[in-house]
Amino acid sequence: MSVTNKITVKRAEIAVAVILALCSIALMIKSVENRITWNAEENMGAGFLPFYLSLGMLICTVLTIIKFVLKRSPQSKDDSPFIEAEAFKYIAVTIISLVILVLAIGYLGIYFSLIFFLAFYLRYFSSKSVLFISVFSLITPVLTFLFFEWLLKIPLPQGISEPLFYPVYDFMYS
Amino acid sequence: MDVFILLLEGIFVSFEPLNLGLLVFGCLIGLFVGAMPGLGSVNGVAILIPITFIIPPTAAIIFLAAVYYGAMYGGAISSVMLGIPGASTAVATVFDGRPLAVKGEAMTALTAAAVGSFVGGTVSVILFTLFAPPLAEVALRFNAPETFALMVMAFATFVGLGGDDVPKTIFSILIGLALSTIGLDLITGKPRLIFFNIPGFLHGINFLVLAIGIYGIGEMLWTLEETKGKVQMSKLSVNMKEVGRAFGALKKTIMAMNIGSFLGFFVGILPAAGATPASLMSYGITKQLSKNSKEFGSGVPAGVVAPECANNSASTGSMLPMLTLGIPGSPTTAILLGGMILWGLTPGPLLFTQEPEFVWGLIGSLYIANFFTLVLNIALIPAFLMVLRIPFAILAPVIFVLCVTGGYAPTQSLHDVWLMLLFGFAGYILRKLDYPVAPAVLSIVLGPLAEKALRQSLILSDGSMGIFFDMAEKPIAAIIMYIAIVLLIMPAFGPLYRKFFKKAQTT
Amino acid sequence: MSIIKKLALVIVSLSLVAVSSVSSAKPFSPKKPIELIIPAGQGGGADEIARLVQGVIEKNDYASKPVIPINKKGGSGGEAMTYVKKKAGDEHTLIITLNNVLTTPVNQPELGIDFFNDFTPLARLITDTFLVWIATEGKNTQGVETFDDFIALAKGNGLVMGGTGSMSEDELLLGMMRGQFGFDAKYVPYDGGGAVAKGLVGGESDFTLNNPSEQMGFYQSGDSKALVMMTPERNPAFPEVPSSYELGYPDLEYYMMRAFMAPAGVDAEVEKYYTGLLHTVYHDDEFQTFNIDDGKLMSWLEGFGLKDFLAIEYAKHGEIIKNFD
Repeated sequence: MSVTNKITVKRAEIAVAVILALCSIALMIKSVENRITWNAEENMGAGFLPFYLSLGMLICTVLTIIKFVLKRSPQSKDDSPFIEAEAFKYIAVTIISLVILVLAIGYLGIYFSLIFFLAFYLRYFSSKSVLFISVFSLITPVLTFLFFEWLLKIPLPQGISEPLFYPVYDFMYS
Repeated sequence: MDVFILLLEGIFVSFEPLNLGLLVFGCLIGLFVGAMPGLGSVNGVAILIPITFIIPPTAAIIFLAAVYYGAMYGGAISSVMLGIPGASTAVATVFDGRPLAVKGEAMTALTAAAVGSFVGGTVSVILFTLFAPPLAEVALRFNAPETFALMVMAFATFVGLGGDDVPKTIFSILIGLALSTIGLDLITGKPRLIFFNIPGFLHGINFLVLAIGIYGIGEMLWTLEETKGKVQMSKLSVNMKEVGRAFGALKKTIMAMNIGSFLGFFVGILPAAGATPASLMSYGITKQLSKNSKEFGSGVPAGVVAPECANNSASTGSMLPMLTLGIPGSPTTAILLGGMILWGLTPGPLLFTQEPEFVWGLIGSLYIANFFTLVLNIALIPAFLMVLRIPFAILAPVIFVLCVTGGYAPTQSLHDVWLMLLFGFAGYILRKLDYPVAPAVLSIVLGPLAEKALRQSLILSDGSMGIFFDMAEKPIAAIIMYIAIVLLIMPAFGPLYRKFFKKAQTT
Repeated sequence: MSIIKKLALVIVSLSLVAVSSVSSAKPFSPKKPIELIIPAGQGGGADEIARLVQGVIEKNDYASKPVIPINKKGGSGGEAMTYVKKKAGDEHTLIITLNNVLTTPVNQPELGIDFFNDFTPLARLITDTFLVWIATEGKNTQGVETFDDFIALAKGNGLVMGGTGSMSEDELLLGMMRGQFGFDAKYVPYDGGGAVAKGLVGGESDFTLNNPSEQMGFYQSGDSKALVMMTPERNPAFPEVPSSYELGYPDLEYYMMRAFMAPAGVDAEVEKYYTGLLHTVYHDDEFQTFNIDDGKLMSWLEGFGLKDFLAIEYAKHGEIIKNFD
């Protein structure tokens, strides 16, 4: 039996409800940094809305938990796995590769990170040839560069690869 | 009738070779930036301001108007084809546009969006021409309490949008509102909810970050799970029969067109409201008034027409407060306004009389841009549909790239890209557990507008909510508020009423 | 895998080439587009000047690379300043100032911004001033013709003032006037000078302290009138509006500066280049005409003069903030 079978919809439902309840409480505590009162002397404080909105969130999650305990929601009776093992693998690979992509953008810059991300992702998920994947992974960042930096003049992060683009800019604006 | 002559002159000006060339080019650029998630007309318009120093002001404004209109259409394309709203004005277009595309009726959705937009644009130009000066007066009297009442009404029209699980739906609304309070508090000037003192929170959470996260990343994860990466996005066929069917489907959307055009225009002329609340309210009201309101959200053409018609109508309407009051309703109009000032034009009540060529040239070119985008769009539909033919394994990473660049571009901050990933993942998990996600997106769009208006009103009234119900002093606010309350409680009493009514009939 | 290895090799070799080519000492010229950070949203006064500068540079080819305005409005400019602070030593980042660069470091000490050490001031191009505006048909300000009428009225009644956001320049000014004239007002924050102007004419507020350009449209149409301009002399764009000095209130003097700064730690060559670029822009005819017509004061300042000016303004704002609460 794999781990994914143990995470049933039922367990996921209660775990998520509890996490959301904790988040709501954290938000309430954070709101108190600003004044949360609203009375005759003082107008509505900056923390008033966030505080009572997160209180409302907390109440909703508590209701969800109560419904779970009383077995009133469809999820509370569902013992099927939250996610199938095969799908889990795809989701996990996707999320991890996205996280690595964003980490890499901060360091290596977006254009080179994209090459690696696309090459990996296409190799893993598609059955395309190495040639196709190479061409595709190289052309997409080039198009991204032309669209953002040349047409729209929106600079995207370049990290340590920035000096590489100086000749390109010289060429573009000469 | 002088205004019609001026408008006609404005339209003729658009046909001069330079202007016409710029118009078509502008429409194309607009379509592109509008269709890219995270980018909108603001990016298209911003790059053009320097160019406008070189070309004459009239040509410049025609160019800018074309970009503006093109982007309005472009937003719908990404809503339908990718399921990601390209701009806040196209959020409601996702609700029915996406299901249509998934059902294999992308053609119908795109046609409905294009024709709906065109109708909205046409009606609003006529209304603008006929009623602009008196309406400017209305816009001037529309202050904070009225704006808040309007926001409550916008929320009220959306009561029926949630899922079946009431606590989860309310949670979704509240978390959207709570997220919208992050950032600087306008009223006290103090930072609010800056978690761990990360400076990225200072600019708050842009609606796009949540929308791209949920509809881009989240939806991709969802599809990945369903299909295990093996199938295409949707079934698809393009032939003459499809084309006929797409136009045939429009017959049922006449009511949506009427609501969208008129409501869109009137909400659009109100300062600080603009096209986003207009498109949301238009969708909500069309849904509530429709005979088959239960089918909304599962892919009905009227659900695409209503918001698209309204956002185009509203964007013409929103030119009014910009020109006569100098109030930009959106970042795009803010830049347009900046451009006007740089060209030596002073926005204000006198602009209509002092610079009629400019004003009517702008309105005329909006209309021509509207027409050209319709033609371009219908012609380009087969090209857009190609997107759906791309195998999922290739489309998915491309969409991820679009999400990452789209999350980064508006604020130039990687912080927002991380948030977007987080929202995408959380949205995916929550959606699997039947938490509706649309209410959160709506709340984060309308939340900041509503909070600002509420707290400004409360300063004026020294903290009393009575300011919203004062028929003598603020009749407009009070009337809108009462309508909103009726709309809010109607769905609750609707079934009761029907039950009672049916019983009365049978006995 | 072999592709990735090859790619890595290419990157490494390319970066070596690039690094070796930049490390020679020549007069500075930009190597990539210049980011111009605007610590405010689209459409405001700072945004307008930034885009004007961008346009003038682009049109006349004053710089070899384009200038790209980027709005970072979060936290009253706090986000923009944190960004520039992090960019210490970066040769392609500039920031245009509002007065929030003087107030936000004091108001939000948690940001850890040191105004004097985190930026390299380059030049001040323009100063913008403020006027006291009322609506011509204002229901609570009927019969007010002069600034003294206004003070008398404001003392007795709690008037409503529309402003551009809490702790922004105009609220500080209100605080200053409260100390000087002994009246207080209810402050309603809007976002942006345009909305403030409209709130005044629409009857929601009784007076505003707006920039000249923000009220220009309603001023020309006669919907609003100015009572005093907070400068020593009258402004040619508003010939009939008296200056505060004429009225005998020389303490009522306030400026909004439009200056440019680079991040801390840039080379003297870089500083020289950008100051020179700004100087060229400053003397551009189009730039001059536009600003003078808009009621702004052309007031070039650089070097030690600018540093002194900033130190004085910083201290002055610190004082206002201290007296505020």
